[in-house]
Amino acid sequence: MSSWQQTFGVDPWKDRVDRAFARALVLPLLLALALLAWLLGDTLYRSVSVQVLKADEGPGKTYAFGLSANEILRQELLARGYTEEEVQSALGDPRERRVLLMQNRVELMWNTHEGPFRYVVTGLRDERIADFSLLEGLRRWQELKANLKEGERLVLNPWLDQSFLTRVPSRSPLTAGIGTAIWGTVWVLGLALLIAIPVGIGTAILLEEYVREGRLNRILEVNLRNLAGVPSIVYGLLGLALFVRGMGLGPTILPAAMTLALLGIPVIVVTAREALRAVPESLRLAAFALGATRRQVAFRVVFPAALPGMVTGVILSAARLIGEAAPLLLVGAAAYVPFLPNSPLSEYTVIPVQIYLWVGMNLPEFARVAAAGILVMLLVLSVLYFLALYLRNRFRREW
Amino acid sequence: MNALDFLKDHETIRTDPVPEAEALVDVRHLNLWYGKAQALFGISVRFPRNQVTAIIGPSGCGKSTLLRSLNRMNDLIPGVRVEGEVLYEGINIYDPQVDPVAVRRHIGMVFQKPNPFPKTIFENVAFGLRLMGVKGSELEDRVVEALKRAALWNEVKDRFKKESGLRLSGGQQQRLCIARAIAVEPPLLLMDEPTSALDPIATQAIEDLILELKEHYTVVIVTHNMQQASRISDRTLFMHLGVLVEEGPTELMFTKPKHPYTEAYITGRFG
Ligand SMILES: Nc1ncnc2c1ncn2[C@@H]1O[C@H](COP(=O)(O)OP(=O)(O)OP(=O)(O)O)[C@@H](O)[C@H]1O
Ligand SMILES: [Mg+2]
Repeated sequence: MSSWQQTFGVDPWKDRVDRAFARALVLPLLLALALLAWLLGDTLYRSVSVQVLKADEGPGKTYAFGLSANEILRQELLARGYTEEEVQSALGDPRERRVLLMQNRVELMWNTHEGPFRYVVTGLRDERIADFSLLEGLRRWQELKANLKEGERLVLNPWLDQSFLTRVPSRSPLTAGIGTAIWGTVWVLGLALLIAIPVGIGTAILLEEYVREGRLNRILEVNLRNLAGVPSIVYGLLGLALFVRGMGLGPTILPAAMTLALLGIPVIVVTAREALRAVPESLRLAAFALGATRRQVAFRVVFPAALPGMVTGVILSAARLIGEAAPLLLVGAAAYVPFLPNSPLSEYTVIPVQIYLWVGMNLPEFARVAAAGILVMLLVLSVLYFLALYLRNRFRREW
Repeated sequence: MNALDFLKDHETIRTDPVPEAEALVDVRHLNLWYGKAQALFGISVRFPRNQVTAIIGPSGCGKSTLLRSLNRMNDLIPGVRVEGEVLYEGINIYDPQVDPVAVRRHIGMVFQKPNPFPKTIFENVAFGLRLMGVKGSELEDRVVEALKRAALWNEVKDRFKKESGLRLSGGQQQRLCIARAIAVEPPLLLMDEPTSALDPIATQAIEDLILELKEHYTVVIVTHNMQQASRISDRTLFMHLGVLVEEGPTELMFTKPKHPYTEAYITGRFG
């Protein structure tokens, strides 16, 4: 071997060991991804089934286009033996109206097979005869179809469909929907962020731009990081004692939002501080040298420069809060909320709690409903993560 | 007698001292401490109106510290203590009655590394003007005027309202920072090694600019570059270990330095 080969030549063994090592490092990552993919696939698979359904009562009534929904409901309820007074008071209160309609199995539908733009009031409910997993159902499709009895039909049921998103919860898996839980989540999360964002970002600005060095800052620094790591159920206990009982707000949206806000604030403070710290000192000096006051430096220069980072932090903490079920179970997310929340003091439920409750139901088809709910949850979470990712890339700065 | 003791008792050597009437800034017996460490020792010097004064000296001798004490930027550093007076137009800016924020509005500063805000070119230049409450068409006019004076206008005139200041080249960014500083028309402009991060061509542009600015402004510039000091400054200060060793007209400082340290430094034999 000539001397240059000894110095610069390729050593095939070293190369091979290197590559094997790199592959070994990738392995756990691939394993994790495979597990995630499996989980997602399984959830998707469970959320679709083949069912034999039977209509249990006579067909519903069709009302002509042009009548108001309330008028149709009024006529329908009167036809079922309610007095005019009862009907009037029921229609006046959205909550009572909903309950009454549920009890009477009255549903308003638009755009039916009888032609577009018609209202149909129906007492029609499907009853499940049999439920098969997707593979089995498709395999036995012909056989099942041949054996259908009078009034039965065979359907491929994707549990996650448009009406699942708007329906209210129900004792029957076929009519259970996630509508109230979605609205509950919107309310609770919206209010929680409304509290947590100003408090969290305000605290971060105070600590980074005003206090800066000093004992207070160091103590808060350590404690905030600890608080961010406290299990969420502890916040639930705190919320129960403080807001639900102490302030007597009951199991309503407001105390739930306050509890989630407490949970979110440390995370928001920590991420906002990091965003503020990432703003180079030279920008602050430039602003000071132009005769800006501390407030002007903080709000005209540092805050806008740190905004993308802070927004990303807020979105990520929102994503975390959306998935919280434990603290909300403690502060009274309800099992059955048949109406949409309409004020901070409404009763409510949220998506993860609803899923948790469905998983615990003993009718096996609730597993399908739960799968559909999980898909909704995942969808919302991925939208938030991609938003955070987008913002991070869109506003990335090279100083 | 070691070097430090010698310098502490040193009387500044002054050639052609600036008469009080011509001074925009008059520094008197300025001592400055960072915590317990003293960084400036009894500095007395006058900066004449509409002239460029260069501050030179080895690294760590207190050039930046002296510069920052002219617009009270040192106040932002925790633990700084100042003794003595800095008279600006006859007013002591370290008087307890004086608001440092107001002082900084009258005195512009340009830093070693270009530090434009992550805003548009327009908003960068408008920043100081907005702080003073300038609005509307006057704001616009003065921004354009500042960009012209900073010799940046031709390069950015078709995009200065949309383009971020961060998208400019290093030399352009530094001229943007100069435009930002002079937009409020400060009588005094402080520059701390404004060209040390730039290439020779950008440096040339900024030096030309400083010579033009002299008509309207008084400039104090810290530099490590001897040629630069001799090219653009009217007077030069030589500092060492927190002491003002010698000051005088630039030509004389560079041709007939009086103190052996000054001579050693400007001939490159220092240390
Ligand atoms: N923020 C600070 N805190 C404490 N000490 C400081 C600080 N800034 C400067 N000093 C000290 O003050 C002395 C003078 O520093 P200064 O930055 O003024 O030097 P300089 O002449 O500008 O040096 P250079 O040419 O390297 O920029 C140095 O000994 C330095 O260590
Ligand atoms: Mg310096």
